[in-house]
Parts: sequence; structure tokens; C-alpha cells
Amino acid sequence: MINQSQTLQNKTLRALLPGDALTGGGAEGGKKAALAEIDASCRVPVLFFFLSGLAWLLAGTVLALVASIKLHTPGFLAGWEWLTFSNVRTAHLNTVVYGFASQISVGVTIWLMCRLCRIPLVAPGLITVANLFYNLGVTVGVGGILIGDSTAIEWLEMPRYATPILFVSYALIAVWTIVTFRLRAERHLYVSQWYLLAAVLWFPWLYGTAQVMLLIEPVRGVVQAAVNWWFAHNVLGLWFTPIGLASIYYFIPKVIGRPIHSYYLSVLGFWSLALFYNWNGMHHLVGGPLPAWMITVSIVASVMMLIPVITVAINHHFTMVGHFGKLKYSPTLRFMVFGAVSYTLASLQGVASAVRSISEVTHFTHHTIAHAHLGMYAFFTMVMFGAMYYILPRITQREWPSNGLISLHFWGVALGIVLYVVPMSIMGFIQGTMLNDAAVRFLDVVQFTLPWLKLRTLAGLLLAAGHVAFVINVGWLLVRMFEPYRKPVVSILTGEAETVAAAKLP
Amino acid sequence: MSYGPLLFLGILFTLATSWVGLVLLPHRQMGALGQHTDTNTAAIYPAARSGEAQQGAEHYRSLGCVYCHTQQVRPEGYGSDIERGWGRRRTVSRDYIHDKTVMLGTMRTGPDLTNIGERQADAAWHYRHLYNPQITSPGSIMPPHAFLFDVRTIGQAGRSTNALVLEGPFAPPAGQEVIPTRRAEQLVAYLRSLKSSGDLPEAPVKKEEAQ
Amino acid sequence: MSVIAFILLGSVVLLPAAGLLALRWATSTGQFRCPDKAALLPFDEVEPVGMETDCILGGNRR
Repeated sequence: MINQSQTLQNKTLRALLPGDALTGGGAEGGKKAALAEIDASCRVPVLFFFLSGLAWLLAGTVLALVASIKLHTPGFLAGWEWLTFSNVRTAHLNTVVYGFASQISVGVTIWLMCRLCRIPLVAPGLITVANLFYNLGVTVGVGGILIGDSTAIEWLEMPRYATPILFVSYALIAVWTIVTFRLRAERHLYVSQWYLLAAVLWFPWLYGTAQVMLLIEPVRGVVQAAVNWWFAHNVLGLWFTPIGLASIYYFIPKVIGRPIHSYYLSVLGFWSLALFYNWNGMHHLVGGPLPAWMITVSIVASVMMLIPVITVAINHHFTMVGHFGKLKYSPTLRFMVFGAVSYTLASLQGVASAVRSISEVTHFTHHTIAHAHLGMYAFFTMVMFGAMYYILPRITQREWPSNGLISLHFWGVALGIVLYVVPMSIMGFIQGTMLNDAAVRFLDVVQFTLPWLKLRTLAGLLLAAGHVAFVINVGWLLVRMFEPYRKPVVSILTGEAETVAAAKLP
Repeated sequence: MSYGPLLFLGILFTLATSWVGLVLLPHRQMGALGQHTDTNTAAIYPAARSGEAQQGAEHYRSLGCVYCHTQQVRPEGYGSDIERGWGRRRTVSRDYIHDKTVMLGTMRTGPDLTNIGERQADAAWHYRHLYNPQITSPGSIMPPHAFLFDVRTIGQAGRSTNALVLEGPFAPPAGQEVIPTRRAEQLVAYLRSLKSSGDLPEAPVKKEEAQ
Repeated sequence: MSVIAFILLGSVVLLPAAGLLALRWATSTGQFRCPDKAALLPFDEVEPVGMETDCILGGNRR
């Protein structure tokens, strides 16, 4: 459909040959496909997930800004019932978590799975149906929240009539991943595949359990809270975290051309995460009306998370040692390293806030909100941005149109999220100290938070600017798909060795 | 070396541990918790809610009150919940057995509401507070819930008995009055029903003379 | 409580047993031989170790 230049065809040919030569190597495996062939086969489904994800990102950004303004200026848009702070805040969470982050995750999972299994995309129909169900589910769910049908169960607010649609989609994605895994041409498994396989198997289980026990046949009393936080914390720990780590484990070595620091450590990191993370949830209920044993178990498991976190940190950061200069040239690496560092920080903050004496202060405050954004944005979203910078040019066979927009994106979101997380963490801690001092009037605590909340709106504007820059760049890239390929002076696709880094990303 | 099946089993096994430990076991332990009858006074706690208050709980859920207000009192010496007068004792599992959706909450942008029915029993206060929080709590960042009220022209019979008493900048235009809708009435009935301070063996209320 | 005790005691026996079995399987099938080989899986002849990809302003560099 597209006229490709001679250079690209040569590249494709060049890429095909060693792939053929490799087939003798995998005794049990089939014919290993070339990377370029795999990338091309992923184009349509991955683009579906990325583009619908980015549409939800824009919606979620607007909702976030409205919610942020409402919290310091309660009169803002107060006349409309469907735009109350609670509705907007909840719609924001659900659009960015389910609409944006999860869909980008699935797109990245598809591409990584195909590349590591060394086969072109199989069963494209299955994955397309999954995408349609997914967007239908999120639309119905977010609409339901805005008209007041929210279940008020954190991270599971979508009403009962929306969640089964999403469940079908998750089940299809899991089936697709298992099929791809079974058909793999490369029999050896890379650590990223473990994480991806685990994530797609864990999530339908979590989502199914939470749906049945909280929405369809609700359990009694505080068991609801237990199921709620077992689910909600595991969405982060067993769905987003493994996909984020799988991406970092693949992209950092790939971009800098150096294998991961220690494969041993990655094995240890995976299994310790699998064992401990899923026991963490009850640390959201410290001091709450649940049996002490449950909360204690979760605090212990939270502290045990130090093992996978330190293991992964050593692996990621040591792989980078001596290669930091490359941050100037590769947008993927920039976002990935930002995400990897944030993962370490977010995890350490999480371990600290699970401890009883610290939770006493930080629980119920904006500290938790800051922590959530450190994990979901500074770690996970940044990693997903990095992955998209790598994947999109390869599946579309087009170069990024504007380096200026890439820089605007990076600096906008990097500064934005730092300006969000750091002040909010500090403010939350002070807020908690004030709350725990019965001599301080409650309304004085509220007044204390106001200037900090205004600062957050400013940070949100920076994030929004970055998102707009990225979406413009992606849109421009798509327009270029319908034009003949023009080789720029320097190209990430043709891989020419003679081009020198004349300019750097600002 | 294809360890796919082993990986598959390991993945399912690890999640199964906490699924049993944090979901099934608690359900077994607390899923059938019942009311407690005091052997001396024959008082039953917690008492079931009225239908009106049950309806109000649905509005509390639908309006998303839980995102700013908790319904849990932490133990004495852990946080200042009891010193702030949010409860006379910590809350325990049994306090929540009648809740269709348990809304413990994780954020205290506003104060805890576990015992708001005891702390603020006056329905008129709640109506004015919901209509515009600035009336009763100047400086609050709670959004006004004016959409829970009807503004209408005062009829021939004169001012309605349930009209809100509003003064100064909050008063409706002359000849008009502000009336709570059914939703507001049910929501206030729910808020006034929020009391979790019954004496329980697992969470005794500190007696005055014990101090 | 007896159910919890039963499950706890059971898991004390079963978990290490499963771990030992997995370890025996791993050593007998040579999983610990040269584990760093798996770290090379993202690379191939077209994009070998030592080749940087995604240097957006510098092309791929060997």
C-alpha cells in the first residue's frame, strides 16, 4: 500500500536473510521470522490499541485538570451534577488506568510477545475483537460513572453493566498471548516474556474475582474492603508493574546494544515479585477495622518487596552504567531510564508508607495520591511513552516527524511529574502530621493544603502540554504513512552507520 | 529447555496463595459475622438501618462521598481519630455488616463520618451544609450540592415548613425558597443514621468513670 | 481458626517441597548452566550486541 524507498526494501531484504539462516538453530522451534516482518505484521492491531489509548489519555488529562481545579476552587463548574469532584476524579482514574495505560500495555505486550517469540502476529481477528470490546467497555463504564452509577469501590468504579465487557476483552487478550506463546519459533524464553505471560494470566483472575465478590454477589461487611484492596493493589503490582518491567528489560538492552547486567538477578527478581507483591494489598487498611493478622501479613510482604525492587534496580541501573551519554540521542532510552529510576523510588516510598508508624501519618493524605502518581505516571506511563517511541516508527516504517515535539513532550511531562510528586509528597506528610495533632482545627488543615493544590494544577498543565505535543507527533507520523517514505538526513529505521550525531535532543 | 509449563504453574500458584490467604480465608472468618446481643441490656448491635437511610446510602455511594470522607475510626493512640471526637472507640468488622457497599475510604480531604449522626444530629445543619458548605463551615473545599435542592416560588400558603433557613449572600431571591429534594432527605437520613459506638466485646466503649 | 492453622501448617510443608522439586528439576535439566545466554535473546544477526538502535539523531550505530 505504501511506496517504500529502495533503502527500506534493501533493509527488509537484509533483515530477512539472517532470519532464514537461523532456522536451523531452533531444533524444536519453527522458522524464526525477521524483526522487520514481525513489526509489519503487528501494525494494525498495535496501532488500534495505541491510538485508542492516546484518545483516552487526552480525555483523562482534561478530567484530571478539572478535578484538580475543583479541589482548590470548589465553585468551579459546581452547577452540573455529572461533573462533581467525585465523578470527575473517578472518571479520570478510570480513563487513564483502563482506557489509556491498559490499552498501551496491551499494544506493547502484543509487539514484545511477537518479537520475542519470533513469529509474525497470529490471530489478528482475536486481538481486534478484544480491542473493540475494550473500548466499548471503557466508554460504557466511564459514561456510567459520570451519570452517577459509580460503585464507589476504588479502582473498580465502573458499574456492573460495563465490567463483563472488559472481562471478555481481558480473557481474549490472555488467550491470544497463550496462543502466541505456544506457537513461538524461539524456544528460549527471555525474562520479559515471563513478566508478560504472568501479567495477562494474573489480571483476568484478579478482575474476575473482584467482579464476582464485589459487584455480582457482594460479600458481607469488611470482606469487601479486603477483596477491594487485594484487587486494587494487584492491578498495580501484577498488571502494570510486570508489563513496565518487561519493557525496561527489553528496551534498555536493545537501545544501548548491551545485554542485561545479570540474568540470574532477573530470575530472582521475577519470582520474588510473584511471591510477595500479591500479598501487599491490606497495607491500604492499616488502622482499619480488619483483623490484625491480615494487615500485619501485608506489611511484612510489603517490606519483603525490597528484594525484587533492589534486584531489579541493580539490574536496570548497572546495565546503564557507562552508557548515560546515549540519553542525548534516544527518546526511548530517556523515558525508560526516567521510568526505571522512578520505579525504584516509588517502590521504596511504598515500602516506607506500609510501615505502621509512617502509615499513621501518611494514610488518608495527599501523600498517597503523590505515591500513586509516582508509580503510575513517573514509572509506568513514562516507560510506555518510551516503548511507543521505539515501536511506532518500526510498525509504520516512518520516522518521527519532529524532534522538537519529542523534546517538548519529554521535558513537559518530566518537569510536570516532578512538580507534582515532590511537593505533594511533602505536603501530604505535613498534612498527616497536622491531622494527627488534635489541637489543629480540621479546617486549618484544609486551608494549609490550598496553595499546594494550586501548584498541582500548574504541574497538570505541564503534563497536558507534553501529552498534546506527543499526540501531535503521533498524528503527524500517521499522516506520513500515506505519503511515500522520505529518508531523512539521519534515520532510526535504515540503521546507517555513517551518520553522526550532529545534533542532539535538547 | 522449554520450561513454559513450569512457568505457567508458578504464575498461577503464586497468585493462588494470596487469593486463598487474603480473599477466601477472610471471607470464611468474617463473611457471616452477625449482630451482637448484650447479655445485660439485651440491646442488639449494630441495629439495621431504616429504609430511608438505606436509600440515602445509595446516594452517598452515587455522589462519591467516599473519595473525601472516611468511615473508620483508628484505635486510640494511633492517629488522633478519637481525640478529635470522631468516635468513642475504634471501629471493628462488626460495625459494617449492614452496609451494602462498605465505604471505609482512604482519603480525609474532609473529616471522618463514622459517627456523624451522633456528632451532628441536627437535620437542618446537614441541609444547609449540603446546599453550600460555606454556610456552616467557612473555608471548606467541599463542593456545593445545590442540585439536591429545588428553588421555587413561595406559594399562597406561605413559606414551606421544610424550606432551608438561609441568610445573607446564600439567601434565594426574594419570593423564592429552597426545598430539599427526596434525594437530599434520604441522604441526610443516612448521615444521621451513622453511629458506630455501640458497646462490643471486641471493642468496648471506654466508660466515663474509668477515666 | 483450625482451618487457618491447617492451611498454614500444610503450606509450611508443601511450599518448600515444591521449591525443592523445582530446584531438582532445574539442576537436572541444566537450567543453571550458562544462564546469561538467555540475556542475549533480544539480539540477533541484524541487530547484534554492541549495536545501538533508536539513536534518533544518529541512526543505528555499531
